[in-house]
Amino acid sequence: MSRACPLLLTMLVLAACGRPPANEVDSEVTSLGTVEVSAQLVEIPGAFPANDLYNYAYVLKYRVLQVHRGQVAEREILVGQYNPLKPRAAAQDDGSGKVGGRLDAFRAGEVHRMALDAPLDQFWMGGIIDKYFEQKGVRYWAVWTNPGTK
Amino acid sequence: MRQLICLLLVAGAAPAADPRVAQLAGEVVGKGWIVYSAKTPRGDWDLFLMRPDGSGRRNITNTPDYNEIGGRFSPDGKKMLYRRIPPSVKVHHDWWGRAGELVIAGADGGNPVVYGEFPWASWSPDGKQVACLTKTGIEFRDLASRQVVRTLERKGIFQQLYWSPDGRWLTATANAFGEAWTVVRMNVATGEATAIAKFQNCTPDWFPDSRNVIYSSRPAGQEDAGGAGKPGYGWTQLWMADGEGKSPSLVYGEDGRHIYGGAVSPDGKYVVFTRSLTDGNEDSAVLGLMRLSDAPTIAGESEALRKLHPKTKDGPVLSLGPGWEPHWSRGAK
Repeated sequence: MSRACPLLLTMLVLAACGRPPANEVDSEVTSLGTVEVSAQLVEIPGAFPANDLYNYAYVLKYRVLQVHRGQVAEREILVGQYNPLKPRAAAQDDGSGKVGGRLDAFRAGEVHRMALDAPLDQFWMGGIIDKYFEQKGVRYWAVWTNPGTK
Repeated sequence: MRQLICLLLVAGAAPAADPRVAQLAGEVVGKGWIVYSAKTPRGDWDLFLMRPDGSGRRNITNTPDYNEIGGRFSPDGKKMLYRRIPPSVKVHHDWWGRAGELVIAGADGGNPVVYGEFPWASWSPDGKQVACLTKTGIEFRDLASRQVVRTLERKGIFQQLYWSPDGRWLTATANAFGEAWTVVRMNVATGEATAIAKFQNCTPDWFPDSRNVIYSSRPAGQEDAGGAGKPGYGWTQLWMADGEGKSPSLVYGEDGRHIYGGAVSPDGKYVVFTRSLTDGNEDSAVLGLMRLSDAPTIAGESEALRKLHPKTKDGPVLSLGPGWEPHWSRGAK
């Protein structure tokens, strides 16, 4: 092994640390919706509803870490995720309109990179579980959700 | 052996006909017509008309290339609106009102005219407008020009929008007050919406007096009775309340069936509804009809439901065969 190899490896690792993972940025998250953010899922405020008979949008609270596109004034936002029991890649159906992404499951504390639209009501006319209903403010609609990084 | 034969004969015998059912049928036979959707032997959905006792039944659409659902007579009984849905689109028990296109025809199904999307169209009292439910709001459309003449915020309403006979109110199913299945009443003049029934309610419709609403409700905390198949899921029952949500009361329930689509007779004395074996399963639904003066009525053993409602009248229920989304008119022919 040449002396250059460890150096090259170190450079590659450093370069990789500064870049988002391959599944964070894609053409959809950078173009769909009107807003693109990296945000941390603060909590999941209850069990996701069963999806065997009805499909719901479930409102989740996120802490905004970075706004990549569009304008978001709030530090915390409420985002409707459609049929959250499903991986984003399988969530879209006849009633949902365009919904997708590379996130497999929702876990509190994780960071997501999302393309969002608002208000939620303009994009989904169906059941909405909103445990934050007493909090006024915009409900966003998650069009595309990928895993993200802080 | 003789005892066994006797036992088999008894077990196999048809139950004695309840004379009260025949009396009920005789009472309602001349009270207009009921329109409903049902599957044909071809497997598509057509609209059918029948007398309220089940007689005079006939298919009024006969369209193998389309499914028809959601027939609603105009207030004067001379016309009917319904949805025409292409076979490529699933006839969903909840979403049918926004699927396919609005058609307005004569009360016998004749001379159908396609109007286009017009989702969840509901007649105005004079039959000249319809209220429609879209993602962007409630639209009041003039039928002659087909133009939107007024809009309201939909305030979380997402399906089953119905305009009151006096024109002052809308009722619908909404995301409101923290619950996804809240039956609400909306003031047509102001757009203000208030809850009639929160938590697991749907398919609301008006009484002829525009004061009371009939709706379906699956109350929380039901015992696992009748094989609902899901622990704690319970059964959906038919309820009524006034427009402010006061005095809610059970109309009809039955452990083992989900009750939906209550439609009150034009004289306000009877109600027709659907009974499904599993929730949201329009294929298994059969129509039932009862007197409102017999409410609350509980059918079958329904041990769990009877514990919650020990004082029931258990009046007769006329079984009218397979059907979904019925509507009742005095004047149709």
